[in-house]
Amino acid sequence: MAARAEATVPAWQRGRVASWLVTTDHKRIGILYITTSLVFLVLSGLMALVMRLQLAQADADIVGPERYNELVTIHGTSMVFLVGVPILAGFANFLVPLMIGASDVAFPRLNALSYWFFLFGGSVLMLSFFADGGAADTGWTAYAPLSIQAPGNGQDLWILSLHLLTVSTVAGAVNFIVTIHNMRTRGMTWTRMPLFVWSILLFGWLIMAVMPVLSAALTMLLLDRGISIGPVDVQTDFFNPEDGGSAVLYQHAFWFFGHPEVYIIVLPAFGMISEVLPVFARKPIFGYKAIVASTVAIGFFSMLVWAHHMFTIGLPFSLQAFFMISSMVIAVPTGIKIFNWLATLWRGNLSFETPMLFALGFLSLFVIGGLTGIYLAAFPIDWQVHDSYFVVAHFHYTLLGGVVFAIFAGLFYWWPKMFGRMLDEKLGKWQFWLLFVGFNVAFMPQHFVGLEGMPRRVYTYANEEWEGYNLASTIGSWIMAIAILLFAINVLKTRASGRRVGNDPWQADTLEWYTTSPPPPHNFDDVPYVTSARPLYDLRRRLREQRGEREPA
Amino acid sequence: MAAVAVSSLLAQFAPVAPESPNAEGIRDSWLFISIFVFAIFVLVESLLIAFVWKYRRQKRGRFADAAQVHGATKLELAWTAGPVVVLFLIAAFVFIELPGIKDVPDAAAGEEQLEIKVSGRQFYWEYEYPNGVIAVDTMQAPVGVPVRLEVSAPDADVIHSWWIPSLGGKIDAIPGTTNETWFQAETEGTYSGQCAELCGLEHARMLASVEVVSQDEFDAWLAERADDPAELGQEEWEGVCAKCHGMNGEGGIGPRIAGSPTLTDAEALGNLVHNGRGAMPAVGAGWTDEQIRALVSYLTENPPSGS
Repeated sequence: MAARAEATVPAWQRGRVASWLVTTDHKRIGILYITTSLVFLVLSGLMALVMRLQLAQADADIVGPERYNELVTIHGTSMVFLVGVPILAGFANFLVPLMIGASDVAFPRLNALSYWFFLFGGSVLMLSFFADGGAADTGWTAYAPLSIQAPGNGQDLWILSLHLLTVSTVAGAVNFIVTIHNMRTRGMTWTRMPLFVWSILLFGWLIMAVMPVLSAALTMLLLDRGISIGPVDVQTDFFNPEDGGSAVLYQHAFWFFGHPEVYIIVLPAFGMISEVLPVFARKPIFGYKAIVASTVAIGFFSMLVWAHHMFTIGLPFSLQAFFMISSMVIAVPTGIKIFNWLATLWRGNLSFETPMLFALGFLSLFVIGGLTGIYLAAFPIDWQVHDSYFVVAHFHYTLLGGVVFAIFAGLFYWWPKMFGRMLDEKLGKWQFWLLFVGFNVAFMPQHFVGLEGMPRRVYTYANEEWEGYNLASTIGSWIMAIAILLFAINVLKTRASGRRVGNDPWQADTLEWYTTSPPPPHNFDDVPYVTSARPLYDLRRRLREQRGEREPA
Repeated sequence: MAAVAVSSLLAQFAPVAPESPNAEGIRDSWLFISIFVFAIFVLVESLLIAFVWKYRRQKRGRFADAAQVHGATKLELAWTAGPVVVLFLIAAFVFIELPGIKDVPDAAAGEEQLEIKVSGRQFYWEYEYPNGVIAVDTMQAPVGVPVRLEVSAPDADVIHSWWIPSLGGKIDAIPGTTNETWFQAETEGTYSGQCAELCGLEHARMLASVEVVSQDEFDAWLAERADDPAELGQEEWEGVCAKCHGMNGEGGIGPRIAGSPTLTDAEALGNLVHNGRGAMPAVGAGWTDEQIRALVSYLTENPPSGS
């Protein structure tokens, strides 16, 4: 198999760079996705550091309002569209075919196209800083009519970038859905599928359901801003109240996409946690079916909660009540997951390597983000804290404390499978503790300053009582920066001299650990028949039985 | 010491001290939810820590199997039903508090409700009182009287959000729509807040404050403002012009305007603020001649120094 695959590749495609440019191998595309996203993570993180410097003191003058609003906008847009979604798509690319015992995704060339659209879309967004009038500066939500009126080309490039990214994301989603539905190996029924694969299935379906709505809203926004097709000027008024449009219509369309988008990012992070915890507890996941059911339930309900982002626009109270209740309903399946993860630790044989530390960190921080969400779901309370730093703290606890911690758990866990070498444990542990402490120093105070009345997206503030909280946030942001630097050092060190490991260094349960590290281009020479959700556990047990060995003590 | 520090921090984990019944209803709902939030927080985090400690590996083999427990249906049912009950209680409490938060109370005997039109504009707040008096950024209101606010924005402007934390929650000022909120300040004093919806470059400086005074003082102020709009001119300069052009017209994100003849030419100034120019929005779209005259007469008497 392997020999045949290599023989068909023309010589010019085998170069060190060329082989990556033309690759349709899901593993290489996955690594391209992850690497590119990590670069965007660093860039967007640097933007956050500049914003934190500006806010460290009252009335500071490090960046002006124009530049600050651009940073706010591109930091948010980039973290969602260039880091959150694509890094998880990267993990999905690398892992899904391996986990289900397939040789690649269903549409490898479409998969490559997705990646290149992502890279182009991301580059457009970053390069828009150099556009006439600078980058977009109306927030990642780009509310009309502010975004219609925004001068210069930044907003147009922002729309172009998001159009490219939605094409990329939808193409990727189609690929994952078809792959998961059709290419599972013999014996892998729905209830024997790894939980990460389940989360990617929902990731795919949610993208299919809501991304087109974003594309439509963006196109309408573009037309409202006005375009010229040859001699014809088109200028519509969908969202422009001055000529009969509706400003809040844009918000409905945006958040119909925007809230499920949160779960598009969070569900795969949940999935990774569900893979890591059992392996480091030496137990099966507690309540497999309950976790699957809660994943499906979250996916479904995430499409019914969007207007909780719009409680202050003056919706009828009956609608606000509906969206409060639907938002609270989503807390139930989320709680089910958290309790099942806790129960997975119960009576375990817990070992605290870096992936486990990040998974436990995820658990402790995500709970906080989930609980502050209950206040926000209660609409009269939301009138008070909406668009304040309390909300900034809330979503950073879910997306940074939650998703980014899960991503690092995943990186440390699957790195040996991707590259055959183990990331350095000592640097990893330092990184974890610095990130954990820095994160809380940065974001815990933002709850308090938000409650005191500091709105989000302000480039400066006059109230000196807010200085202490803000200074703490700034210090925390720099502690996190050191943690990320340690990760970069770790990657370089591991590339040069990381410890080589075998197929299955963690004695894990899922099929990706059955093949070599890194896997060959065709993934598997043979795939064992799957008889449970833990094929490798079954295999190890059968081997022990054949050899007449006892359980390892 | 540590216990005191922790408990004082916990006390701060709530909206600011309310000065109006609606803000009080919001804070009460918050405190009720906090009971459950802290209980769940302590439960989850302490279980996490307890399990991490109790089930750490110690002398067992690194890869030794632990208890092969796959789940427990009764537990699943319990931690599904438990949160449902908690959320039901929370929702019920919120609905009980809701009327006191959203409904403007009936005016006390002999007193009228006061109605003020609030218009959010780049980057200032314009208030219109029932007798036509206009004020900018600083609102005057009588103590103890329910004040109904009709919040909107001019059609050509963008979305803003009205928010004075101690006087209740926020409500968006949306072009083409009028929203309503209210407050009834219980004590005299100045309550400050600011625009809560990103509205452009100087969003951060779109501050608002409410000066709550006695009914007599308020009536006197309102009558005086109706006769002599000189104060309005100063408010317009500071609230509308100076945020972009500097307090002394020395320039900021907008160009230097000190010494410009436009400042004292009612026709040219009217034209400029009504229509905007280049990057400058039409900050005074819909301004009356009186509003323009107030600004011109203030600037004639107090020409900006330019430094």
